[in-house]
Amino acid sequence: MNAIQQTFRLTTTAAALLAIFGPALADDAEVNELIKPESSVSIGVGNWSADRPQQGIYDGMRDKDAYGLLDADIVKRDDATGTWMKLKASNLGLDNREIKGEYLRQGNFGITLDYNRISRDNPNTFTTRLQGIGTTTQTVSTAALPGPLQTVSLGTVREGIGLGIYKNLLPGLDFTLSFKNEEKTGTRHWGRGGAPEFAVEPINSTIRQVEGTLSYSSKKLQLSGGYYGSWYDTKNTLVAMTNAGLPVSNANTTYLSLPLDNQAHQLFLNGGYSFTPTTRATVKLAYTHATQDEHLPTQDVAGLSLAGSPQSLKGEVNTTLVQLGLTSRPIKDLSLLANFRYFDVQDETPVARFVQGNPLSCVTPPNGNQCVDNTPFSYKTLTGKLEGTYRLTDVYRLTAGVEERRQDRAVPVSNSLGAGGADNQRVVPMRSKVDETTWRLELRRSMSETLNGSLAYLFSQRTGSSYLTVAGPGNSTTNGIGAPGPGNMINPLNIADRERNKLRFALDWTPVESLAFQLNVEQAIDDYEHGPDRPYGLTDGTSQLFSFDASYTMSEKWQVNAWYAYDHSRAKQRNSRANNGGDRLVVADVLDKRYDLQDTGNSLGIGVRGEVTPRVKMGADLQWSRNVSKYDQGLTVLAAGTQLLPAGFSSDLPNIENKLLRLSFFSTYALNKSSDLRVDLIHERWQTDDWSWSFANGTAFSYGTTTDGTTVTANPKQNATFVGLRYVYKFQ
Amino acid sequence: MKTLRQFLAVTACVGMFFSGAVVAADSPTATTKEAPKDLILKGDAKCTGCHDEADDSKPTMLDLRPSVLAIGKTKHGTVADSRTPTCTDCHGESEKHVKHKGSDKPPKADRTFGKNTKTSPEARNDACLSCHQGGKHMNWQSSVHASRDVTCTACHKVHAAHDKVREKATQAEVCFTCHKEQRAQVNRPSHHPIIEGKMTCTSCHDLHGDNPKSLTKASLNDTCYTCHMEKRGPFVHNHQPVTEDCGICHNPHGTTIANLLKSRPPFLCQECHNHDSHPGQVAGLPTAATTGSSTLGTVGRGCLNCHTNIHGGNSTQNSATAGRFRR
Repeated sequence: MNAIQQTFRLTTTAAALLAIFGPALADDAEVNELIKPESSVSIGVGNWSADRPQQGIYDGMRDKDAYGLLDADIVKRDDATGTWMKLKASNLGLDNREIKGEYLRQGNFGITLDYNRISRDNPNTFTTRLQGIGTTTQTVSTAALPGPLQTVSLGTVREGIGLGIYKNLLPGLDFTLSFKNEEKTGTRHWGRGGAPEFAVEPINSTIRQVEGTLSYSSKKLQLSGGYYGSWYDTKNTLVAMTNAGLPVSNANTTYLSLPLDNQAHQLFLNGGYSFTPTTRATVKLAYTHATQDEHLPTQDVAGLSLAGSPQSLKGEVNTTLVQLGLTSRPIKDLSLLANFRYFDVQDETPVARFVQGNPLSCVTPPNGNQCVDNTPFSYKTLTGKLEGTYRLTDVYRLTAGVEERRQDRAVPVSNSLGAGGADNQRVVPMRSKVDETTWRLELRRSMSETLNGSLAYLFSQRTGSSYLTVAGPGNSTTNGIGAPGPGNMINPLNIADRERNKLRFALDWTPVESLAFQLNVEQAIDDYEHGPDRPYGLTDGTSQLFSFDASYTMSEKWQVNAWYAYDHSRAKQRNSRANNGGDRLVVADVLDKRYDLQDTGNSLGIGVRGEVTPRVKMGADLQWSRNVSKYDQGLTVLAAGTQLLPAGFSSDLPNIENKLLRLSFFSTYALNKSSDLRVDLIHERWQTDDWSWSFANGTAFSYGTTTDGTTVTANPKQNATFVGLRYVYKFQ
Repeated sequence: MKTLRQFLAVTACVGMFFSGAVVAADSPTATTKEAPKDLILKGDAKCTGCHDEADDSKPTMLDLRPSVLAIGKTKHGTVADSRTPTCTDCHGESEKHVKHKGSDKPPKADRTFGKNTKTSPEARNDACLSCHQGGKHMNWQSSVHASRDVTCTACHKVHAAHDKVREKATQAEVCFTCHKEQRAQVNRPSHHPIIEGKMTCTSCHDLHGDNPKSLTKASLNDTCYTCHMEKRGPFVHNHQPVTEDCGICHNPHGTTIANLLKSRPPFLCQECHNHDSHPGQVAGLPTAATTGSSTLGTVGRGCLNCHTNIHGGNSTQNSATAGRFRR
């Protein structure tokens, strides 16, 4: 009886309180659900049914295995003080996990701390007898002294820690500081250099970046200035590769250099001033001083360096940026934009002689071309841009613009200690000036409820000063080609005279509210100009893009979308050639080759999202892509009917096809208001016939003949299925 | 104690009766109506008097009608920060909209941001820039996006608790709405970890700025160095295109060739190098293991089988080819 009485009392009390405050609490709860930050934590497990070396390069799930799935997004806010506490964790159960915590008193002070790990696994498998992988002393097997055969995986890991601080100092005046420290460790596929043999670059380096910025902002004036510093610090500077059984020494060892420590310090100031609500000027100023003055490690190996050559490069690169901008709407229907940019990258590293292979001469063959100086390159680029947009009607706008880019380039000439003329070291002709003018015209239709789009045409022309010729190795004029030698008869792609025409069309069509289409078509044509004295290099380039997207909302609960994209690029190229069997052409004929390279991509995506019941939601996606690369080459046939191909070599390169099919499905089931169960299913099929690591008959490539013997195997077909189950808890 | 129980029981009955009365009084048929109170933002009662929880959309998977009140979950809804705006700061005073009587659809607010808005792009952006003109948005007006009429709200969902474009996992999805070529490229075999959610478009691009290609730094190389600083040098042996522009050889969005190369060796190398020696070799594959450099320019790493330090070398080895990036 007592129990009944007790229950009655509690029930009565509850009923009374609920009756009075119930509606208000229900209202509050409903409103709070809508306006208060929300959090979620999910925990689960997933399993991949097979190894997926290609698709798993970055996602931390390369191997056939079970993986923990743990994510969290916790957001708390104290409304009274505007204080946020956030914790976001992703992939905690995987190798590429990251976590970020934040405390923010909004408008006053904030601090963030994050950890981020990115792993990158080489998709190929290496079977090798190379010893010392991961270290700076590696031993190459020989037939007489073969090391143990091992299968190795190569890859790198980046582990970054970041710190961010924000402080509002005064109304409109903020200070921010960011610091990032990233350790990169691991191994990278490399080459022995002195011979086409397998080597592994040992990576153990740190990148640090710090940026402090003081920003002022008022209605009219904004200023932002500060310091940005960055440091590269490596623990490995030189790798010694020696054949098995031989001592490490100058005579026996190939020394491979590694990038050395470098650093840069930048001061910057950005400013903007709004003269009127429609007229604004901006300025950007930055000066960067970068150095690389580490001791050169090859100087420590007896007999490896030119006597008396500098112990360090004393590298110094100073960069200046000045940019001025003006935007204005002088009349209601006209917008103008003017921009001037001066960007000067000056490599002020002193030029010194580091190598003199033959003490007799640096100029005249056969003893010439054996001196090597460092070669600083500098670029001073002036860019001016003027663009105007005129509103023709309520929905049509016409934009016309021109951009002029003028570049002065310092080209090192190192012959007879700087006497001028053809350069003895470079093997590629260069220009000291490269200029490009780009015109643009675009008609846009916008502000319409059903049909928007744009049509743009772009024309650019690039040209430059006369070429500074070369007399470096491989440019003999005694080979049948004649002066100025084959090396000088090319237009390098980055400085070649070029005319570019580009057309872009974009359309957004929404015939009814539930249905939307998007169409994009692009066509670009590059024409590289060639005179009779400079016939080689890229001759033509074209690219096309066609993409179509559709989205249909069937009801309040179901939506489907689909897209298809086609892209195609083609490059035609012409080069002279050596007779692959030797170092010099042996015939008087001018041999040349013409490449016709094509890449075609077809991609398709289909997705559906929907609510099956109020508790069950689902989504499914199909992604399919196929990329085909074609490598056609035409070789000059000599009068005798031969092409002078070397023995044991096939110039017939098959097409390469890469195919990916990925089907994914997810569904969530609401257990209650605050928790869900989520199921993920993924099936992916990856296939390639890439011959990069194959001999002409399709067998796996292997290095060397009497040494090394490393075999590289690419897995051409990878099918795998993922099943994952998670519990998701949501709260406020 | 008995008296108390009786009091509570009576209170329960009275409470239940009046709670119904309160609900009834809140109904549209009520003759008296309390002045609405602010729900989230200072002065938002002008709007939330109608756009209240009853009118608001519940979060759905399709998010066809985003919640208006969800702004309360965002930094804009943090009223303790005196800088946070109220509805009319962005949407305008909208007197015609507010004072509309009748059962037909009211005229739209002064400034709207949806797909079918009649508000000009400049006016839409001004709503944001009135507070966000400083810092990273200083050069917005001369950015490519601004000059192509891309508005802030084309990418940002101001009312949403989770703004897709600010989330690592979903940002690219927003960018691909327009950038279709990049959507195809990031799915190619060689790509940055964008689809894996480890990098975002804004890792390299600052869409609010006016740097070339909307990059975060003043040049492409400076942008790449933030992660690939070992390429910065300078080196004893500099490879010219490396010092000029990483984009000469690489397409950072994705390619079918290892290491994001635009073209594979020897084709790529021969775009600059015309040579009477083995660098001028024909492309092709050896039929068996070999050490002949004239037949190894295509297979494996191609020319880089030997010229392995292609980004620059620091060797001072007394060799005639020391400057050829082999050491």
